[in-house]
Amino acid sequence: MARLILHGIPVSAGISIGKAFFAWRDNISTLPRGIVTPGAAQSEVERLESAVEAVQNELTQARNRVPAELKDHAAIIDSHLLIAADPKLIKDAARRIQEQNITAEWALEQAVEAIALAFSSIEDDYIRERVQDVRVVADRISKRLMGASGCLKRPLQERMVLMAHDLAPADTMELPLDKIMSFATSEGGKTSHTGILARSMLIPAVVGVSNLEEHVNDGDLVIVDALRGFIIVDPNEDELADYTELKFQFEAYQKALHKECRLPAETVDGYRVEVVANIEMTEEVAQVLDSGGEGVGLYRTEYAYLSRPALPTEDQLYEEYSELASIMAPGKVIFRTLDVGADKMLTEQTLMREPNPALGLRAIRYCLRNIDVFKTQLRAILRASVHGNVALMFPMISGLQELRQAKVLLNEVRMELDRARQPYNPNMPVGIMIELPSAVLIADSLAQEVDFFSIGTNDLIQYSLGIDRGNKHVSYLYQPLHPAIVRSIKFVVDAAHREGIEVSVCGEVAADPYCIPILLGMQIDAISIAPQSIPGIKRIIRRTNMEECKTLLNEVLRTATVARINRVVKDTIFKQFPEELTFYSSLIDHDD
Amino acid sequence: MQEEIREIEDGLCLTVRVANDQGLHARPAARLVKEASRFTSRIVLASGDAEVDAKSILDILSLAAAKGTALELRASGPDAREALRHLAATFANRFREDT
Repeated sequence: MARLILHGIPVSAGISIGKAFFAWRDNISTLPRGIVTPGAAQSEVERLESAVEAVQNELTQARNRVPAELKDHAAIIDSHLLIAADPKLIKDAARRIQEQNITAEWALEQAVEAIALAFSSIEDDYIRERVQDVRVVADRISKRLMGASGCLKRPLQERMVLMAHDLAPADTMELPLDKIMSFATSEGGKTSHTGILARSMLIPAVVGVSNLEEHVNDGDLVIVDALRGFIIVDPNEDELADYTELKFQFEAYQKALHKECRLPAETVDGYRVEVVANIEMTEEVAQVLDSGGEGVGLYRTEYAYLSRPALPTEDQLYEEYSELASIMAPGKVIFRTLDVGADKMLTEQTLMREPNPALGLRAIRYCLRNIDVFKTQLRAILRASVHGNVALMFPMISGLQELRQAKVLLNEVRMELDRARQPYNPNMPVGIMIELPSAVLIADSLAQEVDFFSIGTNDLIQYSLGIDRGNKHVSYLYQPLHPAIVRSIKFVVDAAHREGIEVSVCGEVAADPYCIPILLGMQIDAISIAPQSIPGIKRIIRRTNMEECKTLLNEVLRTATVARINRVVKDTIFKQFPEELTFYSSLIDHDD
Repeated sequence: MQEEIREIEDGLCLTVRVANDQGLHARPAARLVKEASRFTSRIVLASGDAEVDAKSILDILSLAAAKGTALELRASGPDAREALRHLAATFANRFREDT
């Protein structure tokens, strides 16, 4: 076998070097596509039904073996059980047997292709990929019809790189995971089950590898690069040496990340940044603490409103907020007031049928129109403020008047609490999100009337560049380092600091290893990111030099085009962390 | 804020809204099938011209209903009213298991 590189999609980071082993080599040509005598059709249907029943039993058993920590996995097997019982698949196949007098295997294949055709026009990638689930279930039924069972053709004696056309969750539950170094499959995409399983078990995996079955044989020596997404078949000695080294480095890196994650995020020249987390449920606090988060910089409060048919009561909210505040104390928790609308609608909002909800009655606008709902939440936050280090911020502020209206209501609530003799922290900090271009331009006035700013870059980028990131036709314009965005953030940070208030950045930009040095160069006070991004970003900050960040920022500010900025930033940052950055992907990866 | 159940030609109907972030993806669809299968009534989900069987996961997935989509739940049979109430709550709870 000659040396060969096969490209795929990395879904679970890591490197492995070992021998290939195919779980099962599919041989479609042996599928019996034949005609049966009209009298035999009924027994063919019965054969199909008993195969379906056997597969349902296998799946149920596999389902019962799923360990509790793999809840996602159990859910996938559940959906496979539903597919195995789905009238669209099984009844359709049975109908085809009777109408065409064909074998159960052929009828099943036709039923699957009919579903695949119906799904092929669906725009949603995730749902389109679910046809794969139908194929996997049908494949299992088909193998059963042909007399096979289980997923491995023979037991694994030593640790191998497991290869397959595709792996179903039920298949993977039968796998001896201690004997598997990594996974490679020819089917599957970013959301495939192999990825979910592999990530939860910390096994490297590459899926969607084109021509995997044609080019790899059992026993071939392969390198699986699940950092960048390819497989080297029959590697040369240099590659083996390089990858042995890279594998060692990556594993050491993962360990180091975890060990260091509680250290402060301080640059080598002593600039300290607070690193806090974005979360939306109280249960996520454990993950924040485990990954070295110093607090919660953005608590999205919508969940309580969207998860029940009726609005939450003040006491329900108070209980949720005070629990969160006391667990996180002395770390701070910033509650963002209700940000419903656009992609998170209350039932009454959906009934308004706004033509353009992203520019509609959402967030603070909705709250100022529904004062009872708003004041109930403000009361709950204020009451929770005695249980920890609590702050509050208003989302989507577009002008001074809106901010003042919100603050008037907050004051009314304070007076009501005084009258009711209920305790609250009178000095609880009050801030705002800066996520609209209008708020950027009047940041100097806004800074005089609040205690802190939090720049919501995800929305600021969309509103500034006039694009919907979820729209695939324009998503290429989602450019975090567009000169307008860099200048906007800088303008807000400077305005805040002139008034002596703190400013943080919450949004994916702050979790991007290439963008964080630019934010540091602006002297931001805090970043708020997803808990899982905290250890890696803290480590990068601790290896960064503030003076170099400032120099890079100045160069970026003098550069006119995004492509050029991305190039400059990539080259500069990559030179600083050539080893680390091989372990990351970036928002600015898809430029020029 | 709950919508009213309305009478239609051959049963009852109710408008629901997909509230969870992912839309009617595999897990929510699975949950919906399980809940719908508890009732004997014929239950369909309608979106625009498309009308699908609420007890078929493949049918539900084929709607590719994203977050925010309004769907009409129609039920006909002895337990139609209960079924609609129960399924509306399932939608409102964003298909969470703990309800």
